[in-house]
Amino acid sequence: MRLPAATALLLVARTLGAQTAIVYGTVRNVATGVGVANANVFVPGTALKTLSGTDGRYLLRNVPAGQVEIRAVVVGYPPAVRTVLLAAGDSVEIDFDLRGLAAAVDDLHAFTTEPLIVTAAKHSQLLAQAVTSVALVSDTDLARRAVSTVDEAVNRAPGVQFLSGQVNIRGSSGFVEGLGSRVLLLVDGVPANQGDRGGIDWDMVPLAEVAHVEVLKGAGSSLYGSAALGGVVNVITRETPLGFHARLRATGGAYANPPFDVWRFRDGVGALGGLDATASYGQGAVRGSLTLGGRHSDGYREQDRSDQWEMSGKAEWLPQPGTRVTTSGAWTSHQHEVFPTWCVPVPPGTRACDTRGQAFQPFLIDLSGAGSYTRSNKGYLTATLDRTVSSRFSWEARGSWLRTHFTDVNPDDWAVSNRFGGEVRGVSRNPSGRVVTAGAEVARGDVTSDIFGDHTQNQVGVYGEAEGLLGGGRVTAGTRIDYLDADSSEATAVLSPRVGAVLPSRIGTWRASAGRGFRAPTLAERFVNTRALGFQVIPNPALHPETAWSFEVGNAAPIASWARLDAALFWTEARQLLEPSFVLVVDSTTKDTVQKIQIQNVSRARLRGLDASLVVTPFPSLTGTIAYLFLDARDLANDSVLAFRPKQLLTLSADYRWRMFSVGGDFRYSSRIERIELEPVFGGDPRVAAKVLDLRASWQRGALAARLLVANALNYIYNLVPRTLEPVRTASVVLTWTY
Amino acid sequence: MSSRVARGALVAAALACNGGLQPTPAPPAISGIVTYRGAVPDSTQAVYVVAYHTFPHSRDSLFTFQPPVQSLRQLPLGGAAAPYSIPVESGRYEWVLAVWVKRGFTSANADSTLRETGYYRDPADTSQPGVVDVLTQPATSIDFVIDFGQMHPPCRYYTPPCP
Repeated sequence: MRLPAATALLLVARTLGAQTAIVYGTVRNVATGVGVANANVFVPGTALKTLSGTDGRYLLRNVPAGQVEIRAVVVGYPPAVRTVLLAAGDSVEIDFDLRGLAAAVDDLHAFTTEPLIVTAAKHSQLLAQAVTSVALVSDTDLARRAVSTVDEAVNRAPGVQFLSGQVNIRGSSGFVEGLGSRVLLLVDGVPANQGDRGGIDWDMVPLAEVAHVEVLKGAGSSLYGSAALGGVVNVITRETPLGFHARLRATGGAYANPPFDVWRFRDGVGALGGLDATASYGQGAVRGSLTLGGRHSDGYREQDRSDQWEMSGKAEWLPQPGTRVTTSGAWTSHQHEVFPTWCVPVPPGTRACDTRGQAFQPFLIDLSGAGSYTRSNKGYLTATLDRTVSSRFSWEARGSWLRTHFTDVNPDDWAVSNRFGGEVRGVSRNPSGRVVTAGAEVARGDVTSDIFGDHTQNQVGVYGEAEGLLGGGRVTAGTRIDYLDADSSEATAVLSPRVGAVLPSRIGTWRASAGRGFRAPTLAERFVNTRALGFQVIPNPALHPETAWSFEVGNAAPIASWARLDAALFWTEARQLLEPSFVLVVDSTTKDTVQKIQIQNVSRARLRGLDASLVVTPFPSLTGTIAYLFLDARDLANDSVLAFRPKQLLTLSADYRWRMFSVGGDFRYSSRIERIELEPVFGGDPRVAAKVLDLRASWQRGALAARLLVANALNYIYNLVPRTLEPVRTASVVLTWTY
Repeated sequence: MSSRVARGALVAAALACNGGLQPTPAPPAISGIVTYRGAVPDSTQAVYVVAYHTFPHSRDSLFTFQPPVQSLRQLPLGGAAAPYSIPVESGRYEWVLAVWVKRGFTSANADSTLRETGYYRDPADTSQPGVVDVLTQPATSIDFVIDFGQMHPPCRYYTPPCP
């Protein structure tokens, strides 16, 4: 069942005006994990019923508030029953996991033109209700892309680009060696950026545990606080189904060798492989799941091997209707060699590498970084209590602990950091359609390190946001105030208001928003004391938060029964951006004046552009997407192009299925990066546009599935950040068995 | 017909995806390590390494150095030493030196805002400049000292030299 945006919005508008709710979700075959078509989903004793679509998705409108029983019935399976407590105006996801003899082979691949549900506003809502742009990477996208990590899955989302592991949403972060991400990572709504560096460990959450990913674009600080300056990535983990289930996922593959003999660096072929095993059990009020996994990679260049072990688990207790206690956690140990920068005739050290007469050797290392190695352990624990008190009010409380510990060899550095967080949030729903979300959040980060020192940082925030129907539209207004301090210094207050509106019209659904975001300096940015690129990097405890006002106007419109266009114009004015800068300092020992690097509040920037995507499904077995980002990013302090922001980003995707087979591909074009930081050092290096073609194919029968991915199929050789080669052609096969 | 379209699409995709990084022979260049001595003056605008085919014996030949002005790259001034590499034409270079540039430099006031602050020396006679031959490969290990306490105006090397 496919719902055009306007229809969905109409349903929402109607529902919000009454004492009713929307129930949506997916009817799945638990053996295969794929949707079951034509399941009869209904509320016994009423006329409320619907049939699930070809992808297993369904939507029931006008479901009365209160405790409601919902059933899913389809030939070949025993009936499934769920009882839920619904609040008026709510949108609640209820999935049905069916066990039976039917293999549902023909429902193998799900294709939808419009993912419907997001939690960007800290409560469940339809995508059409969101006042800012949201890109959704669905479970279907994750499965068919056959990738191994969350960042690989998110990397092709519209408007999203990774620069050597650092996520950019509409050019938000640029590239600062992983320091100070301007994107906030959430795992089931819990902040998960590092406590010391503020970066994101994408390998912390096993992909096998991920149900889908929401990418909230634009400033999200009015609800999420620091780091949500440029957007939010919310990773939603899988629900634990009833009964016993297991899943094995084995990956194997190989890296292509350099396309030119003069670049060859090994005789054999580089390999990669991994294995994940998940088991879950659910009965009555208790459910739990556990995932164990490991992977190895030889890497696609010299000094690039890595080994990773991971574990994650989740336990749920539902003591009574409307109450749920969830604990979850993950732990990852990642040991990997570090490719420093590639080999050039004059390296930034004193050990020359063999360039074989070339201007650069992209697969070989600069020997000053020979032997560089990192051992990185990281994990988190969360506990959440959800309580739906009545049809009008629900609340949630949660606590979390995130810990990271890295040890580097050459240079020999280490850091241990913790991030403790807590949040209490209430959501009130009024019969008139008004929804009020209010809460308070605290976070404390600490670090002990040879390069960052021994420091703590605290953040306390309170927020509130109200949504209501106004005329034919929906209006949202709210704000958040945060108090920040480091090492018990004087607290800094930051106010982050946001207003927005959604208005359905004949030419689609309009949305507009204006919001202020901020990012507090990380402990690493304040207190780092190390050497980089031959320069001393010195601390700057007096840093202020960087801030930005973001504006957006967008429209989502079904331009035909088989096509949907979503386009947004965005404009961000950023102030006091934290950037590494060269400063002249008198050395206290030698009294010489020397150049050093220090993070400073120096930059003003303007990022504006167009973010558009077109999703087409000309016939049920074929779907395609065109996503285009035009970015005009200016450094206003220097009157130049902002570094590390490509002007154009184009993504083309297509998938075709035939019975139990499917084929597809992505093409990503990213225009040549016009400006990089440290031009005196790297400005002479070659830079090219990125043109990457990924191809995929899959087969599934019953509980078995095989997927082939050839990433960078044309073995296009390119880099996005200085002297760092992006992945070459990588062929991998993923075999999945589900019980 | 459809197979022709598919083949065409494949060729188009292949053509669209060429143009990535290619092997590039190292251009003629002079490279090495400079070692710093003395304090960097507060009035420093930049320090560059340049090379002359023949000694600039007059103001007229002051700007005949390699690389061209638009290819000049500042030396990083942190730490005790720094690597450098300057692209040059193939040929013989009599003088490879570091030039200190004072804030406010223009070509009109070059005599007062430029200083020689160190040069590559002949290994056999370190009182003399060393000659560097650049053929088709880079000339490497052209190391020398930059001493901010021993800087000289360009006219010192003119014929006749300035007082």
